[in-house]
Amino acid sequence: MWIWDLQTFAFLAVNDAATECYGYSRKEMLAMTVTQLHLQSDAASLSYLLRMPGSSEPRETWRHRRKDGTVLFVEVVRSAVRVGDVNACLTIAIDASEKKRSEGIYRCLMDAIPSSVLLLDQKLRVVSANRNFLEKSRRIADATIGKRLKEVFPEIILSEMGLEQQIRDVFTSSCPTQGKRLTYRAPGVPIRVYSYSVLPLNWGDKVENVLFLLDDVTERTLLGEEIRLMERHLASIVESASDMVVSTDIQGNILTWNRAAQVITGYPFAEVKGQPFFDSCDPTGAASLRKLFSRGTTGEYSGRIESDVKTKNGGWRPVSWVVSRMIDDNRRTVGFVAVGRDLTEQRKFELQILESQKLAALGVMARGIAHEIRTPLAVASSAAQFLLEDDVSSEFRSECAEKVYRGIHKASSIIENLLRFAHPSPDRNKTAVDILGIVYEAVTFLENQARIQNVEIRTVFPEEPLRVLGVPSLIEQVFINLFLNAMNAMPEGGTICISAEQNGSDVLIRVADTGEGIRPEDQDKIFDPFYTKAPPGKGIGLGLSICYSIVDQHRGAIGVDSQPGKGSTFTMRLPLLQDAGLYAAVADDQDESP
Amino acid sequence: MPGFTPPWRTIKMSLLDRFVLVVDDDSDICWALHHLLGKVGARCIWALDGQSALEAVRLHNPDLVLLDAKLPDMNGLDLGEKIRCVAPGIRILVVSGYFYKDDPVIQAALAQGLICGFVEKPFSHASLIGAMEAVLGQACQRA
Repeated sequence: MWIWDLQTFAFLAVNDAATECYGYSRKEMLAMTVTQLHLQSDAASLSYLLRMPGSSEPRETWRHRRKDGTVLFVEVVRSAVRVGDVNACLTIAIDASEKKRSEGIYRCLMDAIPSSVLLLDQKLRVVSANRNFLEKSRRIADATIGKRLKEVFPEIILSEMGLEQQIRDVFTSSCPTQGKRLTYRAPGVPIRVYSYSVLPLNWGDKVENVLFLLDDVTERTLLGEEIRLMERHLASIVESASDMVVSTDIQGNILTWNRAAQVITGYPFAEVKGQPFFDSCDPTGAASLRKLFSRGTTGEYSGRIESDVKTKNGGWRPVSWVVSRMIDDNRRTVGFVAVGRDLTEQRKFELQILESQKLAALGVMARGIAHEIRTPLAVASSAAQFLLEDDVSSEFRSECAEKVYRGIHKASSIIENLLRFAHPSPDRNKTAVDILGIVYEAVTFLENQARIQNVEIRTVFPEEPLRVLGVPSLIEQVFINLFLNAMNAMPEGGTICISAEQNGSDVLIRVADTGEGIRPEDQDKIFDPFYTKAPPGKGIGLGLSICYSIVDQHRGAIGVDSQPGKGSTFTMRLPLLQDAGLYAAVADDQDESP
Repeated sequence: MPGFTPPWRTIKMSLLDRFVLVVDDDSDICWALHHLLGKVGARCIWALDGQSALEAVRLHNPDLVLLDAKLPDMNGLDLGEKIRCVAPGIRILVVSGYFYKDDPVIQAALAQGLICGFVEKPFSHASLIGAMEAVLGQACQRA
């Protein structure tokens, strides 16, 4: 606060607040004029005001300079006073720098907002508008600030959208509206799409102003439209695919499920949404899928698996799955996509092929059977015809009778072998069998013959017994057949090496000989019935086919790897009996079955 | 069986002194054929596999070969081809249980002239003898 001479502008009195604010001492200030407080650039314009006794406006804002040169804004109220004979002016100044700063920041912020912003009061008058609004609407501030909304916006928009009512509602409810769309086509200009929000600004309990934010989203809308089209196209590809396409989250819960999946399983998407994908597969398939999924969260990954899928009518359908990771931009796994092909038709086709292969095999077999059985029959028949003659010596008679008898017996034993091959012994005879014990028995059985043939038998066995569920006599027959074959392949002597080991959930047994080997073209025929390379009277070609049949009955597999001149290795794989206690239960169950 | 007359009582003596090679891996079949041929006055030797059969054809040049279709070392029809290379004019009669009468394989072999006749096992002595006579009576040339 200070008093100054209207004639000379000289300070007549200053208070402590003034000296403190401006940085001058009282003595310095009293030696100054009021104009010296003003900036040089402002001084001329101000001189007119300074001469006025009092101000027309109750408050004015002046720019002053402190002693240190910094600028401050002051709001002043002036009144004319007399000090003695002197016409003076009492000036009360309030430092308004902070307020001015806030206003500046406010303006800056408003202008920095990339949306068009209007601040409206309760009478729907524009209190302020940012630069973006003015530029977009091609208006100037003076024609906007203080104007009513209907003067700023085209009437048609306000009435069509009920905009004024919406804004009034925000004033009364204090609830913001967000992300509403407004489409406007100005004459001669392409259609524009805006998104607008109305936000209430509360002072105390009352909404005094609202912010009206307006965004031009025409480009974004067009882009969105394109993206939507693209998405719809992709979605229709997935939907139209004849393969099942299922996406899951990282835990394997179903996120999407296409139409093929619905058709194949009968389950609509709504019923499987969020359910674990594994639940729709058979237990074995589910376990493998679980393993794939858990492995899939790290590294490059995709896997193939076959499993049966549950259908709504209680059935199962075979499906081949290809599972791939879904990754985000940071190559993190965010889920999985499983594409499943219904194998039902393929299985039918395979079955048909199998049937035709069976028929072809039956053809080969029929010839083999015919040859093997008709030969002893021919002998018997011929011998019987000799017996019908009148002049048969008693010696020849008994020779013929013996040929008849032997021929019939031979034919019959071939038929028995065939039956054994075709009708496996039932499961109920299966017990827990130690493979190693059986191999030892088979080896003991052939030891003498091996010694005579100069064949050495070596065994490489683990110390622990290897148990399988099986019929001991049948398994022994497999080994005896394999050993005999091996010995036949080594007429000059050699070595048979028998090894057994646990391989995962299987027992792996190898019988390797150092014999003449099997020609590559014969290797896939050796398990066919009546296929033999044995010399006359040494075999009819059922040994290995019976081995194959027995191993198959034990849910195992047998194969051969052979190099002509070096030897053959027969590898047999039988499922390991994991839990010896289990076999008792299995055996019990089977005893009860008819 | 009343009225059964052994075939060699009624047949012409066309098989007398004919030289026949029997090829069959079953020794009992060889036994039966050996006796039957003996009864009709034919001379007979036998071979149990393809290799020895070829050897016998080279050494003895038989008039007729009775051939089984399956041998331990080769297929009977393959052996027939080989025999024909060694002795082109030889008569071959297949005696086997491996084929049937109208079997396409047999029909083809007959049409080609690879074999001259076929008798199914088991056979009646009369039909076998009849077939042997017919084969020896006909001129068997490769088509």
